[in-house]
Amino acid sequence: MQEITPLAKMVDIDKNFGAVQALKKVNVEIRSGEILGLLGDNGAGKSTLIKILAGVFPSDGGEIFFEGERVNFSSPKDARAMGIETVHQALSLVDVMSISRNFFLGREPTKKIGPIYLLDRKKMDGECEKAVTGLGVRVRSPNEFVSILSGGERQAISIGRAMHFKVKLLILDEPLTALSVRETKEVLRQIEKARDSGVSVIFITHNVYHVYPVAERFVMLDKGIKIGEVYKKDASPEDIIEIIATGKMPETLKS
Amino acid sequence: MEKSTNNIGIETRRQVLSFSQIRRWPEFGVILAFLILLIIFSIFSSKFLTLRNITGILTIVSELGIMAIGVAFLMIAGEFDLSVSSVYALSGFLFVTLANRFSSPLAFVITLSIAAFIGFCNGTITLRAHIPSFIATLGMMLLLRGSLLAVTGGESVSYSSDVIMPTILTRFIGYGFRPSHIWFLLLTLLFSLVLTNTRYGNWVFATGGKKEVARAMGVNINKVKVTNFMLSSLMASLSGCIVISRFNLANASFGTGMELEAIASAVIGGTFLTGGYGTIIGVFFGAFLMGMMRTGLVMIGAPAYWYQAFVGAILIIAATINLKLRRLEM
Repeated sequence: MQEITPLAKMVDIDKNFGAVQALKKVNVEIRSGEILGLLGDNGAGKSTLIKILAGVFPSDGGEIFFEGERVNFSSPKDARAMGIETVHQALSLVDVMSISRNFFLGREPTKKIGPIYLLDRKKMDGECEKAVTGLGVRVRSPNEFVSILSGGERQAISIGRAMHFKVKLLILDEPLTALSVRETKEVLRQIEKARDSGVSVIFITHNVYHVYPVAERFVMLDKGIKIGEVYKKDASPEDIIEIIATGKMPETLKS
Repeated sequence: MEKSTNNIGIETRRQVLSFSQIRRWPEFGVILAFLILLIIFSIFSSKFLTLRNITGILTIVSELGIMAIGVAFLMIAGEFDLSVSSVYALSGFLFVTLANRFSSPLAFVITLSIAAFIGFCNGTITLRAHIPSFIATLGMMLLLRGSLLAVTGGESVSYSSDVIMPTILTRFIGYGFRPSHIWFLLLTLLFSLVLTNTRYGNWVFATGGKKEVARAMGVNINKVKVTNFMLSSLMASLSGCIVISRFNLANASFGTGMELEAIASAVIGGTFLTGGYGTIIGVFFGAFLMGMMRTGLVMIGAPAYWYQAFVGAILIIAATINLKLRRLEM
């Protein structure tokens, strides 16, 4: 397992916000087709770390490798072009736009009519409806506004969108917060489906019970420092909570 | 028996659905208001529905409407432009001055270029200084208007150049119609097409709807905003050139307060003040409603001063109805 080249690798990542050091020499790697749980309390630096990976802002030190090559993302667009996509509950869909317009935002298909390129609305609606129905979301039409959807439906559509555009690395930022039990189950099923189709998933949460059922490996952060890394077979959820609470790895788990 | 009950159920649902579909047209509210006012004015004044009056209204509506389209397009991207009225007056002045010295086509091109540059400044100031566009363009409005008044000393200049641009822009083409009517209609269709049927239009909606999402999805929101600021200025400038070509006279106080009429047209037409939603066809009818009220009220015998009061009342009612309609939908 160790010999496989990771899909993405973040080496010695530093990030400062003014005088606050948000990340200190953090090393994380994500392998092909695995679900990695990124855990830590609020303010541990989880979101900062993945925002650097997703191109939202640059790091102040360290290197990022994607598919073996050194990369430098200056905007989310760059990261997306490489196949890295973030799904954030509050920041993935525009409420006052239709589902199909949201689905293709930034990647709208066009057709050429004379000298001008117009949106291929028929294709947008058709493909969107097919994809959304395949996700088990029931909507009357892809032209409905996103604002009528529930949290689970939004999450499903955001993940489905990433899958539709052949994402390689899917970053999920607190994907289960504020979801009902049934929706949680549905979203977890989708995450596993994504993994089974070969996509790597980084699952960020502060609640280990959200991620434990699906992830194979866990990385724990605290105050900007990586405090531990364990495989599921070596640690129970309680062990992981213990690591986060004490801020260090117990001797028995160190390898 | 069972079957027939089912049929009734389906029938009723279809009817409800079709009504909800009509109601869901974003322009529904403003077209309804437009028709109601049209009927009222036609009943109370026999001269209202005459070709001469309609074309007269169209002339005013076109000049306001061209400005309102630009303002609304920018509002949908989530920003305001209050400087349009000053750009309008400045453009008229520049156009006349330059045309008198050189030629009207050259004057027209230079005027539009300067307007585009002002729009670029509005956008850049708003984005770089991180101040609300409401404040940035309010400043620009006062700055331009004040400079114009100071430089001209309040004196008017009259147009004494060739007829090329005035003919293209606004000289009569028969039955009281003017080219500006056609420009207004064409620009409405063009902007409407861009907004609803191009990638750029989708980015405009997303930028105004939630800029963080738009950015995360790879939209260059700053570029979208600056472009729309420039378009808003350009449209105001075009409107200014049209008016001056019609009056043959430019004055520094032209168009004072017109920015609010343009914003009112956009809001009556269903554009969200908060951005992210609106239609250009709605703005078309919004501007029409404003122009129709101006002449209609005079024709049914109300003192001209009532115009503003009515605009205010209609604006409040329209904004309320539009919000209610959207609530039903969202």
